[in-house]
Amino acid sequence: MSTYVYGIAPADRTLPEPIEGIGDPPRPVRTVRSGDLVALCSDAPAEPKAKRRDLLAHQHVVITAGAAGPVLPLRFGGVAPDDATVAAMLAEHHDSYLERLTALEGKDEFNVKVHHDEEAVLHLVVAADPDLRDRHAAQRAAGGGTHEEKIAFGERVARAVAEQERTDAALVERTLAPYAAAAVRGPEDTGRLANLSFLVERERREEFLEAVRALRQENAHLREQVTGPLPPYSFVGTG
Amino acid sequence: MTVVPAQTAPAASGGGSSGLYDVLELVLDRGLVIDAFVRVSLVGIEILKIDVRVVVASVDTYLRFAEACNRLDLEAGPRKNPGLPDLVGDMTESGARAKTKGALSGAAQTISDAFTQAHDEAAEEKSGSSTRRRTSTRREEKE
Repeated sequence: MSTYVYGIAPADRTLPEPIEGIGDPPRPVRTVRSGDLVALCSDAPAEPKAKRRDLLAHQHVVITAGAAGPVLPLRFGGVAPDDATVAAMLAEHHDSYLERLTALEGKDEFNVKVHHDEEAVLHLVVAADPDLRDRHAAQRAAGGGTHEEKIAFGERVARAVAEQERTDAALVERTLAPYAAAAVRGPEDTGRLANLSFLVERERREEFLEAVRALRQENAHLREQVTGPLPPYSFVGTG
Repeated sequence: MTVVPAQTAPAASGGGSSGLYDVLELVLDRGLVIDAFVRVSLVGIEILKIDVRVVVASVDTYLRFAEACNRLDLEAGPRKNPGLPDLVGDMTESGARAKTKGALSGAAQTISDAFTQAHDEAAEEKSGSSTRRRTSTRREEKE
């Protein structure tokens, strides 16, 4: 029977309740211990897949176990051949995992995604560039201009917007980083200008959220989306 | 599961695809990886991620920007930011939205539970006290 692993916690962690893991029916969560660490595990379903309910179950286990203290969350989908392999893995990395857990104590991840309000950013970039202003005025007067003129103008605007995205991404990171213990850049996607994860101490959470609010108030063209508190998925590595 | 393409909806709610996709990304792409473990197949999930990516540098985008600019009145100034009031309110909202969507809602819900509770309690307190006020006013009137 192979073993599914959700996360790693200090061995003295008491789990608040019987926790349901992945699978249908849900496999009960148990622990595998080695030294001062336990791995939060369950039996793995015969053919585990990234189903919605299992993704949620994984998240649920990490959050529930994390209510009483830090947990190193595993990425979804890690399956070991058996409990002995899990214990051996805990033993092998024992000290570095323990060190990481200590570093994460009392801290949560907040994910901040930022995109532009389209109308506001178009206004901003066109108004800021005299040449774009002139072209804009001329094209409005001409009822929009020809197809080719529209494409040429739109391309200039798109470039200005892309430049503004870079400027604002740097601004967001620079503004919020002082309120966090660590920051990590997430994968970039078009349609948003920043995807940042911050490791925030609980005592500083309000300060951090207040900084996000201030950022929004001072930059009407930015739209922030904050998700958290989350298990520290982005901060499991050392450094 | 509906994932709103990032480009069509961003300004609408300030949340776009809400907490749903954000949590997915973290659970699937971050977190500790142990080399000795086999990873579950993620076929299907990748497709979802590709759907979210929208090509920006295209003629379509240029035309769209040109049309949008054509509607801009530079003298009038930008619309007032509708999202000013409260950030925590937004988080609560995205939790509630995820609930109605029913897809991956649990995670977003779990995360925002604390916020939702705090929000509800605050709302209750508010309405409770105003009820009390009203009651006492009525009493005074009776007396």
